[in-house]
Amino acid sequence: MAEALTARESIKAADAHAPSAHIEHDTNTGISNTKLGMWLFLASECLLFGGLITTYLLYKRPLEGPTPEEIFDIPFTSTSSFVLLMSSLTMVLAVSAIERGDHERLRIWIGATALLGATFIAGQIYEFTVFVREGLGFTTSRFSSAFYTLTGFHGVHVTIGIIMLMSLVLLSLRGKLPEHRSETVEIVGLYWHFVDVVWIFIFAVVYLVP
Amino acid sequence: MTLTSHDPIPASNLDGAVEDYSRDKVYVLTALFLAAVTVLEVLTYAYPDFPVWADNLLIPVLMIMMAVKFFTVLYIFMHLKFDKPILTWVFYAGLVLAVLVYLAMLSTFRIWWPESHS
Repeated sequence: MAEALTARESIKAADAHAPSAHIEHDTNTGISNTKLGMWLFLASECLLFGGLITTYLLYKRPLEGPTPEEIFDIPFTSTSSFVLLMSSLTMVLAVSAIERGDHERLRIWIGATALLGATFIAGQIYEFTVFVREGLGFTTSRFSSAFYTLTGFHGVHVTIGIIMLMSLVLLSLRGKLPEHRSETVEIVGLYWHFVDVVWIFIFAVVYLVP
Repeated sequence: MTLTSHDPIPASNLDGAVEDYSRDKVYVLTALFLAAVTVLEVLTYAYPDFPVWADNLLIPVLMIMMAVKFFTVLYIFMHLKFDKPILTWVFYAGLVLAVLVYLAMLSTFRIWWPESHS
């Protein structure tokens, strides 16, 4: 226990004397490989979600079972969309907080982001439950399969984002997230914002386009 | 140097940045703008006969609002506006490839001419 405390104190001491600026990366692009890797990953995610959205558009007209117009609750989904949109604001405020070395606000904003994300997921679970009760199971129609696969994949992405956010809070509480490591928060933020822009697309194309 | 929440973050302090980052006030204003566009989107559902998006204009209006929200988050919240252009190119490579591939796929299935299915 004593050794662990000593190790933590030494990390804190090292962090306290670290420069507030990011570490200069000796790469061809001048950008860290982690950040470039995250952008490449997000670019590849465009292809994943593009495929799922295209499949949904092709199977939008069900041959059997309830239709989208009969089953969608637009006011409820609009509220969920608004919640996810606001989580992008709290995420960017968290990145801003760590870049100026404000660790308390970092934890508050990351916690708020995770809470908003969890609210969105709770709303999605509630929505799915209502749909199943109304007779729209995963295998009811080609529309239902495409719809659940698309929105379910997005929900899994949000859930992974929440896990990453909670990990950041734990790292910060243990003193392992000083401002010179703010890129870690920025990279998780990139993932979170991407999940938000995917939902912006899904909300318009799946729910609002008649 | 101590920064307050209103000061821009100097690009020299940020990895890969070529411009100073905006701060909290800009982010809050951006979020308010995004919320306003979302309200407009929902209004297209609540008032489908409103002249601006009545009849055939509904889908183009929704697509424009969606694109505005998409690129606002991308450029302001994801910092593409302030970061090195290579990151924009990397992301656009994936985005454009996805759009082209799936437009070709939708065209193959004749989604633009639904009457041709019958």
